[in-house]
Amino acid sequence: MWFVIGDYVAGAVVGAGTALAVHAIVQPGMDMVIAMLLGMAIGMVLHFVLGFILAPFLGMFQTMMPASLIGMYGGMAFGMRDSMGAGSVEWSSCTLVGIIFGIVVVFALHVYDRALRAVVVEGAD
Amino acid sequence: MDLVTQAKWDSLAGSFDFLSQADDRRFAAAKRSLFAKIKGKTLLVAVGTGNDFKFFPPGHHIVGIDISPKMLERARLKVGEYQGQIELDAMDVTALDFPDASFDTVATVCTFCSVPKPVAGLSELRRVLKPGGRILMFEHVRSRIGPLGILQDLMTPLTRRNGPDLNRDTVANVHRAGFKIVRVKNAYLDIVKMIEAENPA
Repeated sequence: MWFVIGDYVAGAVVGAGTALAVHAIVQPGMDMVIAMLLGMAIGMVLHFVLGFILAPFLGMFQTMMPASLIGMYGGMAFGMRDSMGAGSVEWSSCTLVGIIFGIVVVFALHVYDRALRAVVVEGAD
Repeated sequence: MDLVTQAKWDSLAGSFDFLSQADDRRFAAAKRSLFAKIKGKTLLVAVGTGNDFKFFPPGHHIVGIDISPKMLERARLKVGEYQGQIELDAMDVTALDFPDASFDTVATVCTFCSVPKPVAGLSELRRVLKPGGRILMFEHVRSRIGPLGILQDLMTPLTRRNGPDLNRDTVANVHRAGFKIVRVKNAYLDIVKMIEAENPA
């Protein structure tokens, strides 16, 4: 139970961290493709650092896989949004969207994990 | 002996228990259910600091090997916690110092993400496993889910420096080494897997 709560908290932290870092660096008017690539790079670096810090407490894979999705794909989405100056202009709303994104990704992976655990391949040869 | 790999895992021995503490708890039930299937004399490959001894059913004769003497130093402190017989030795899985068909079961935990020549290591395990004997593996592999697999490919050059590869296709490697796959079950997404395979007679 505590691990599951921890997964969601970690997802929220990585989501918020990525959203804030991208928001601080990507300015409105920046080329959207550059912003997307920059956001992806920021997200990947950040997820790696945060994931490494959190992994001993939550598990290497249960931390790194959601964090990598949040960092990479969230970073791309946040970068494109900020380059357009569309939505989440305030830091608080930017943080909230990052948290929501992180929690949604963790929830999706929990659902996916539950489905995949039921998969057993017998005599795969 | 692969001295580069040995040095890498020697350097991690001091922090290994801290880094793996959560994995140890979250995968406890899965490991117990897998290793409940061991029979007879068992070779445990890459024992690390001995965290997995507690997942083995009591009363067995387990021979544990690891390439890292510093990991084994820590594992020796946990041998007494197991109610059975455990022998430990420093050894490279690609050059085992055991005669052919020495073991009834082989067990591995997150081993073939780190062995530089996985098929060679698995072939060597097949040599020391009796015909009809089983290999029970708890391993992480590359995901077949597109975005996750790509991320694992991107992260592997970084993780490889101080730890394992994240994008190995260990199920295919087991097959390539000549084992007959009996059962593959997911323990986390399609990344952490329990693999059971048999050494064909």
